[in-house]
Amino acid sequence: MNSKRLSHLEELYRNRSRRAQELRWKGQKVVGYFCCHPPLEIMTALDLVPYRITGDVHEPITKADSYLETIMCPFVRSSFDLAVKGRYDFLDGLVVPHTCDTIQRIYPIWTDHKNPEFSHFINVPHMLQSTSYEFYKKEMEVFVENLEKYTGKTLSTDRLAQEIALHNQNRALLRQLADLKKANPPLISGAEMTKVMTVITALPPQEAKELLKEIIKEVKERRDGPKKQPVRLLVYGCEISDSAFPELVEKSGANIVIDDLGMGTRSYWEDVAVTDDLLEGLARRYLEIRCPRTFRARSGTRRDDMENRFGHIGRFIRDFNVNGVILYIIRYCDTHEIDVPDVIEYVHDMGLPVLHIEDDYSLGTQGQLGTRIQAFLETIAQG
Amino acid sequence: MADEAAKKTSSIKSTKTARKVRDFVRTMYMRAHQAKAEGRPVAYCMMASGYDEILLAMDITPVWTENYAGLCAAKREAEQYLVRAEADGYSNVVCGYVRTGLGFDAMRKEQGGMPAGAPDGGMPQPDLLLGSSCTCDPRYKWYQAMGRYTDAPLFCHDVVIPSVDAYYKKVTPYYIDYQVKQFRELIRWLEERTGKKMDYDKLREHVKIGDKTAMVWWEVDQLRKAIPSPMPSQDHFNIFVPGVFRFGEQPTLEFYQELYAEIKERVDHKIGVIEDEKYRLMWGGGLPPWHTMWMFNHFESMGAVFAIENAYMHWEPRHIPEGIDDPVEHIATRNYRLMTNNFEEAQKNSGDPTVEKLLKLARDYSIDGMVMHGSRSCRAMTIGQMHSNATIQKHVDLPFLGLISDIVDLRDYSEAQWRMQIDSFMETVKARKNTLRQAQGERK
Repeated sequence: MNSKRLSHLEELYRNRSRRAQELRWKGQKVVGYFCCHPPLEIMTALDLVPYRITGDVHEPITKADSYLETIMCPFVRSSFDLAVKGRYDFLDGLVVPHTCDTIQRIYPIWTDHKNPEFSHFINVPHMLQSTSYEFYKKEMEVFVENLEKYTGKTLSTDRLAQEIALHNQNRALLRQLADLKKANPPLISGAEMTKVMTVITALPPQEAKELLKEIIKEVKERRDGPKKQPVRLLVYGCEISDSAFPELVEKSGANIVIDDLGMGTRSYWEDVAVTDDLLEGLARRYLEIRCPRTFRARSGTRRDDMENRFGHIGRFIRDFNVNGVILYIIRYCDTHEIDVPDVIEYVHDMGLPVLHIEDDYSLGTQGQLGTRIQAFLETIAQG
Repeated sequence: MADEAAKKTSSIKSTKTARKVRDFVRTMYMRAHQAKAEGRPVAYCMMASGYDEILLAMDITPVWTENYAGLCAAKREAEQYLVRAEADGYSNVVCGYVRTGLGFDAMRKEQGGMPAGAPDGGMPQPDLLLGSSCTCDPRYKWYQAMGRYTDAPLFCHDVVIPSVDAYYKKVTPYYIDYQVKQFRELIRWLEERTGKKMDYDKLREHVKIGDKTAMVWWEVDQLRKAIPSPMPSQDHFNIFVPGVFRFGEQPTLEFYQELYAEIKERVDHKIGVIEDEKYRLMWGGGLPPWHTMWMFNHFESMGAVFAIENAYMHWEPRHIPEGIDDPVEHIATRNYRLMTNNFEEAQKNSGDPTVEKLLKLARDYSIDGMVMHGSRSCRAMTIGQMHSNATIQKHVDLPFLGLISDIVDLRDYSEAQWRMQIDSFMETVKARKNTLRQAQGERK
């Protein structure tokens, strides 16, 4: 993290909400949202500032214990803990998608406790049948109507098309940045990539675009990027929105070269197709995000099913020359937890070793994790 | 309570009809084995998905895998399956039902036949898998994961429910429309897989029986408002079995008619669950601890009866649609109404449909205290219990006990801790009731 621009990234990362708060003081409305399922294009086309809600692994969960059960996703508990402590008081609105059981259930609890000026729940179907797309499009129409009422503005097709193009440009820039990790050593580290994702999901898309362009330029030019390590890793899992875990992994002797994470490739790997009815393209793109919460119909053999569900992981492994995989699963994330044995089988079938970590979204486990990760990486390096 | 009673996992039932349920369960698994032996299609199914009558009309025999996991838990036979699933890499925080089911299927595949000692002869090998997103995520992920143990074709049925703050008049038509299309897609898929066309007249008949059953069951629950309580929650956790796992069948309707007659007689003759009913409790939510159902009788030993519960169905007349001839639309509308029960009341009052229901139950059933059960492996039925209780306390002063264990897995459960919690809770219930009585006496 020595180059000037990436130092600026560091500053933005450490003060993630500052820009959103500035924009709010200038009169813009900031809407917090969970996960990668809400259609951001619709929000920004109505001049809202979307702000992706995260927890904080550095902050012990204390206040949320009075309101939430401990057997639920600690990422969501941590996020709500921050809200109770006032860290999200700058949010004017809240948008919660039906990603999973826990995210669905936090919606009424959050709105009851924080009473945001605007709140909306988007039901995301779990299936990918033709009727699921129709339904999701209807949900988007209702989302548009509610946002129009809230903002007092009308969503124009032209403006939405512009926003789709802008968000697609940002996705393309992120893919370009990710491509720089194909080199050996990669030109940008996994920890830096986590910071980039965390920062740009807190910025308006135009500012995110400018920042991404500068980062790409400076990453290409700098000479003090990550050092070559014997292990090139793919990290799979739910939510990593803090650099502590990737830093721990990379300090232990690996380069994280690609991920399959919610705050990672799942947010940018696919573009929104520009369709005659723009909501159709949005519905398709957001419904097909490769999170295990979305069911992909089984057909053919077991091998075909595994390829249908995890083929993208296989492509990442090949394209980024990966030689080890870490599954970083936040405890109680049922959809990921139930997929774990199948993901392990798929990766093993490709001849790669896997380390499965079930963690509690805190720094308390770092020492123990470091030992496990080092042992795993040494095994690969020696192999 | 006596140690001998504690060794029993099941509770002592009050009603004669509830004691007949065990036979219903045995018959259910016997029929599944018979269907398998005769080459008729057997489907693994998820309860409360709404496709019960569709399966009946197409002669597909369901095996309710959640029921089987509960059965294993009640017989304390689940641990071997839990351990087997964990050996295959499933985390010990994954739903206890899922781990039991996956472990069972892993052992059946490994052993090339039914695992030795499997309760009720085990579950037969399925020909079809019918997952569902209704209620929770593990209900569609479970059967997807089963790909490692069986090649049986899989269909997952999507069930969507709006948020409580949704604008119902706007969203209801397309929510129901999606459900209708999901059911039609399921029927088309089943027709393709079984080579048999849906008999819509037969479906209509089963739907009629289902409607009638739901209403008789509702009438039973109305009778339970009586003091003393004629039927406790532990009986409900037995008598729900026909209504959930054999819904739409004539014997099920007759079962509830018989239950109604029995409860009516008990009410007419003031026959209570216990001789001296001092306190009336409500099972406020969470799945029951199948491994420890004797706990209900422990409350009874202190004069407390669970008069009503918030788990498993609770149909109301307003759920049954009128004037819809198409049975598929009828089922979809009925299910949507059940799933969105109390939403409109919640919009006007507490903002929480569960709270609305609990407040209503507390009033109607003269409740003195509420118990909920948080299950370590069940997100869907556990998250929100603290919030519901906190919201309820804003409206009424109702002593609350939150018990924690698992629906199946006993490894984290402490009987001693539960006894202490229950005893302490009952002291609070008694104190509150005494205070209320004193206040009433002073007013007189």
